[in-house]
Amino acid sequence: MGAYVVGGAALKIDRHFELGYKDLAYRVVRDCPECSDVDYVIVASALPELSAHQVDLGIHVVQWIGRRVPALRVESGESSGLAAVDLAASLVSSGRARRVLVLGVEKVTEYPTYTANYFYSLTLDYEYEVLRGISPPAYAALAMKELMNSGVRRECFSGWAIRMHENAVSVPHAMLRFKISLESFKDSQVLAEPLTLYDSFASGDGAAAVVVSSKPNEGDSSPEIVYSGAEVGLPAYLRDRVSDLTASVGLLRRAAERLGLDLRRAAVELHDSYTVYPIAILKGLGYLDDRCDLGGFEYLNLSGGLKARGHPVGATGVYQVYEIFKLMTDGLGGRTAPAEYGLAHSMSGPDNSSRVVVLRR
Amino acid sequence: MRLSPQQFWRIRENQYRLFITVCGSCGRKAILKRPVCPYCGSDRVHHVESSGLGVLESFTKVYYRRNSSEDDLPKFIGVVRLTEGVRVVGEIVGVGADELREGMEVEAVLRRYASDDPYGVIYYGIKFKPV
Ligand SMILES: [Zn+2]
Repeated sequence: MGAYVVGGAALKIDRHFELGYKDLAYRVVRDCPECSDVDYVIVASALPELSAHQVDLGIHVVQWIGRRVPALRVESGESSGLAAVDLAASLVSSGRARRVLVLGVEKVTEYPTYTANYFYSLTLDYEYEVLRGISPPAYAALAMKELMNSGVRRECFSGWAIRMHENAVSVPHAMLRFKISLESFKDSQVLAEPLTLYDSFASGDGAAAVVVSSKPNEGDSSPEIVYSGAEVGLPAYLRDRVSDLTASVGLLRRAAERLGLDLRRAAVELHDSYTVYPIAILKGLGYLDDRCDLGGFEYLNLSGGLKARGHPVGATGVYQVYEIFKLMTDGLGGRTAPAEYGLAHSMSGPDNSSRVVVLRR
Repeated sequence: MRLSPQQFWRIRENQYRLFITVCGSCGRKAILKRPVCPYCGSDRVHHVESSGLGVLESFTKVYYRRNSSEDDLPKFIGVVRLTEGVRVVGEIVGVGADELREGMEVEAVLRRYASDDPYGVIYYGIKFKPV
């Protein structure tokens, strides 16, 4: 049996001080007519135990939004969202469920930024990375230095961020809907040399929903989930190079080969928590030279990516799938991607795990 | 969240000393005393202790804050190639930014990792300093 994306919704990623996990979940479902008729709910969320003292979030969300259907929560760090979509497709394809609501929801602003940074760092190994003072931006900085030492110019990374901000301007739910220039980087706060705040994802609360169904909507062309895969990498400290993102590169290559898909022609959402990672991935796939000309890509991170749309950690993958669904159907902020395929890529940590979901029109 | 003394006690060997896992199947070596080889999955492994000496291959000066205090910032996180040929990532201490350079010889030292200030336990572990 097939699995189709038949609807969805997304809230603006922001500092929603007035909304908690359950409120965010309710708001996004309220905006989503397709979300009412479902027989299973999967909540994707990475941080509720840490930021809201909440275990079993799936059930508490379902009770709060008044749906008495089975629910569970999926957590796989930063790639929780795509893991949830993967599971939803499995439930539907196997006949275990008819229509699954995948609900990505995350709060990252409940505590000061330094605490949010600490929570986010826990996507790494607490005992052997976090306690030792290693953090996600430290790895990203080491990866960036590696690429720069092998000839990639600093402007490649800045260029990615500038392009993401341009893309986000027209995206209604994006957190940072403004342009930046190369000049902005000069005054940007340094996170870990040479990596700056402008190389980092935007951090905000968010909720997004997609409905995965065994049947396409009547009379229209709901995209079908035709590929859903995952791969686990080595911890960054065990690799020859931190910037060798072999799980992501291998998985993207396999998905493309399996489907005969050209990333340059597909609606693609790449995980760009730090600007260095998409550059490393596209280089690893052989798409980029050291000048990093992205001109060949027709629909690359039209959402603005984690960089500008934002990265509500465990919810991000659901945003990505929602965005691809919109780009392939009635449009996202007035833009459409008349591509045969849409691909969402997500990873947790510096390629600790990588996930890919592909939709076909 | 407060630290757990049990958790830290349980992992003390890998925090206080520098062990290397040597794989009897694929021959590769990996930092930390581990039950299985992270490269090939074999449990035919044995462990050796590193001399603690190595070369700083790369480093970054980190300003990313994740404590209420900024006292430990900026700090240096470096990639060290141990003389045994294995890489380890950790904090580099006892040196200023202008003195730190790639290719510098470093050695493992025991320093403070974290503490439950002001009254809690202090947790120590391996960091590196220039020889
Ligand atoms: Zn092995």
